[in-house]
Amino acid sequence: MRPSFFHHLHPPTIPAAQARWRHTLGAGGTAVFLMLVIGVTGILEMFYYAPNPQEAALSVQTIAYHVPFGWLIRNLHYWSAQALIVVSAIHFLRVIFTAAYGSPRRFNYLLGLALFVLSLMLDFTGYILRWDVDIYYPLLTGTNLIKTIPLVGDFLFRIAVGGDSLETALLRFYTWHIFGLTILIVILGFWHAFRVRRDGGIAVPPPTLRVHTERISRNELVRREVLAMLIVSIILILLSIFFPAPIAPAMSVREAVRESVPESVYAPWFFLWVQQMLKWGDPLTFGVLIPLGILTFLAIIPYIFPKPADADIGNWFPKSNRAAQVIVGLIGLFILILTLVNK
Amino acid sequence: MTNLSRRDFLKLVRDGFLYLSGALAFVGFLRFLDYDPNPAQKTEFDLGLAEKYPLGSRTILPDIPALLIHAESGFTALSLTCTHLGCTLEPDTEGFTCPCHNSRFDAEGKVTHGPAAKPLPALRVELTPENRLTLHLT
Amino acid sequence: MRRLLPLFSFLFFLTFLLVWYLDARQPDPVELIPTLTGQPEYCITCHADLPEISPSHPVKTFGCVSCHGGERLALDADLAHSTMRGGANPSDLTVVEESCGGSNCHSGSEANDRHHIQRVMTSIQSTYAGAIANIRYTFGAQPDLNARFGIYTVTDEETKTGIKSLSAFDPASEENSFIQQFGANCLTCHINAAPREGEAYARQTGCAACHSPTSLSSSEEKQHSLTTAIPYAQCNTCHNRGNYDLRTMTFVERTDQPTNRLQDYYQPIAQFTKCEYTLDCVDCHTRNEAMGNGDLHANKKDIQYIQCKTCHGTLDELPLTKTLTDPNDIAFKLDFLNPIMDLKLGDTIIITEQGEPIWNARQLSDGTFEIVGKATREHFNFRPVMGTACEQNPNEQESRYCHECHAVEK
Repeated sequence: MRPSFFHHLHPPTIPAAQARWRHTLGAGGTAVFLMLVIGVTGILEMFYYAPNPQEAALSVQTIAYHVPFGWLIRNLHYWSAQALIVVSAIHFLRVIFTAAYGSPRRFNYLLGLALFVLSLMLDFTGYILRWDVDIYYPLLTGTNLIKTIPLVGDFLFRIAVGGDSLETALLRFYTWHIFGLTILIVILGFWHAFRVRRDGGIAVPPPTLRVHTERISRNELVRREVLAMLIVSIILILLSIFFPAPIAPAMSVREAVRESVPESVYAPWFFLWVQQMLKWGDPLTFGVLIPLGILTFLAIIPYIFPKPADADIGNWFPKSNRAAQVIVGLIGLFILILTLVNK
Repeated sequence: MTNLSRRDFLKLVRDGFLYLSGALAFVGFLRFLDYDPNPAQKTEFDLGLAEKYPLGSRTILPDIPALLIHAESGFTALSLTCTHLGCTLEPDTEGFTCPCHNSRFDAEGKVTHGPAAKPLPALRVELTPENRLTLHLT
Repeated sequence: MRRLLPLFSFLFFLTFLLVWYLDARQPDPVELIPTLTGQPEYCITCHADLPEISPSHPVKTFGCVSCHGGERLALDADLAHSTMRGGANPSDLTVVEESCGGSNCHSGSEANDRHHIQRVMTSIQSTYAGAIANIRYTFGAQPDLNARFGIYTVTDEETKTGIKSLSAFDPASEENSFIQQFGANCLTCHINAAPREGEAYARQTGCAACHSPTSLSSSEEKQHSLTTAIPYAQCNTCHNRGNYDLRTMTFVERTDQPTNRLQDYYQPIAQFTKCEYTLDCVDCHTRNEAMGNGDLHANKKDIQYIQCKTCHGTLDELPLTKTLTDPNDIAFKLDFLNPIMDLKLGDTIIITEQGEPIWNARQLSDGTFEIVGKATREHFNFRPVMGTACEQNPNEQESRYCHECHAVEK
């Protein structure tokens, strides 16, 4: 059988070491697959979702309860999106802990971080599209956080929200979600994948320092990817069956403004750590500068830390980039603890 | 059965289940698309008191669209939707004409000029106990 | 790898089958498009066995959501019920305006007699103004018996009694400990309050306190019904339940389980004529008395006005009557809601001194009257007092005077 288009997307052979599950956890590839599931299920939802404040939440209920298999499509969209954040974080940690960010992979590392930020923004905008009572306070506080940025805050607020009040936010967030952010993530995604190949594939020591020299064919690689996709699909479908996506009654901005704040108001799970920090003081510092600072620090890791030794590339927890591993580990722990404490 | 090697058998099993899953997914996808969230269209219309439509009158009801006829034999109605492709007919000197593709009908709804092929269907009109008229599309 | 791929392809296919199976098992949604709203609702997918609530609230017209609230599209109980007003009782006074209100429904104008909610909100049974004023006066917190407080704040701009508003009674801000105890122990019998523990007290709140009689059903389940045929047992979920002890400021519940109305039910000190232990409360006590007439009152005595003579007349006067000539007369509407009389144009019914219809009491051609029990449908005949051997003094019309001859000792 002659190799297909999908086979040809892969190199003819790759070092066997690169293709081991334990080497990469398959996280990057899983992230790509999750994005595909998100895209397809999202497009299907567009057949029924109504992006206006009067009908949005009702159209979500229509999808969840009345459209044939609508519940499945919606739950798949939700779970693959949350899984994407988790899997992307795992992929990022793997890159740090296997010293895979060194030159020539430094630019691709930045592309990856940008993809992660875009995924978070897509998750947040998608969450807002529910337009139900639970999203009001995250929308209000999140967009007001943008306003705290000096000089460009109001301008950025209007770009995000589409006006001076929250009534216009739904349509604007919808457009960002299905097009603005999506087209960016697709372009950067392809670029990221291209750079993987151009930078020499998944990080392993250069041929002269390689311990294992076996290689596998593209057919074998594709087989492994298909297996991974099947496993991830089964997990996603089971999650969708047994744990429905959150749903709540419709929200009206006018009524939400009048009513008192409910007892417990939570940010979406991936921003719980920011909500916790916001309890400490000035919103600009704790809601914008510190998260941006963390992001900036992560971005310059390949540039300020010494380049990992060639022999260490691709090995788990090598010695030559121990400092970077420890700091990233601490930052991750910090974010995790803040998330758990905020309950 | 020819000797199928174990490898080929496993490939057959794998491909078989994947194609079956694909078929199920495709049928599911078609069912997914085939849903109308809007409430069903009205099929009954209250036309008001029967006195509004005196004997001999032929009243055009633009909202339906239909023609209400009060003849000696009682109340009847004709659909004014062109039987060709659904445009609303306009009255002319001999009956009705369609602005879209020029079909023409006489005053009783019979086709006098194509491309329409079927005559205008008659619609049932019911007189309620309170002396009101109800038009039924079905 | 060679074995894993076919295995997981099979498992993948199995999850698809699982999805189809679970989807097929879901009950088909049952749609209802009420003519009043035009918007599809799916409540009866799960609640198909609920009976119609009343002849005047058909579900085909009202649907469920216009009264109860709730999420009309949801098929999951938690979401569907999350925005229901008043839990299972949308007539609770905190939400009654949204549920039962509207100018065409129960909060319209006095002119077309549709201001029921306003009447109930100002009625003594809701405000409890008399009891509160009495206790505060007794224990020195106010110098007279004028009503100043009610269970909640309520105003009556167009007052005909001079009482323009009542403030919300707050036991915590009272200085006298007896009044505070009153607030703690004695406020369970106004219709906005949750009833006391115990089967004998079981009732709902708001309009449903009377109009959804729990005593009609044998089980403890709440009934999905609205009726005007209210049996005396429903009134007795608050009334005739025991005694107040002012010294300890507690309510002493009666411990017996009364079954015989005359022998067991009423207080031992009372005397009763046959009407009073045979007819139901609603057969005599009028709508204004029970539900208020739209004005704030200081005391039950100010609103209660029915007397024996309202139906029986006196030696000098026949009871007031009215011949029904207007097909829109309220008597016909009341008969429609509880069809016991089959009233026709030309029938003559008794009316009260305030013009309220005793629509279940009809004059017969020989001048006597028949009355039909609203809850029991029992027929009774009676004569007016005029022309009989009654020994009453026409100036003494309180019930104790009639009781002197007509009361049955327990």
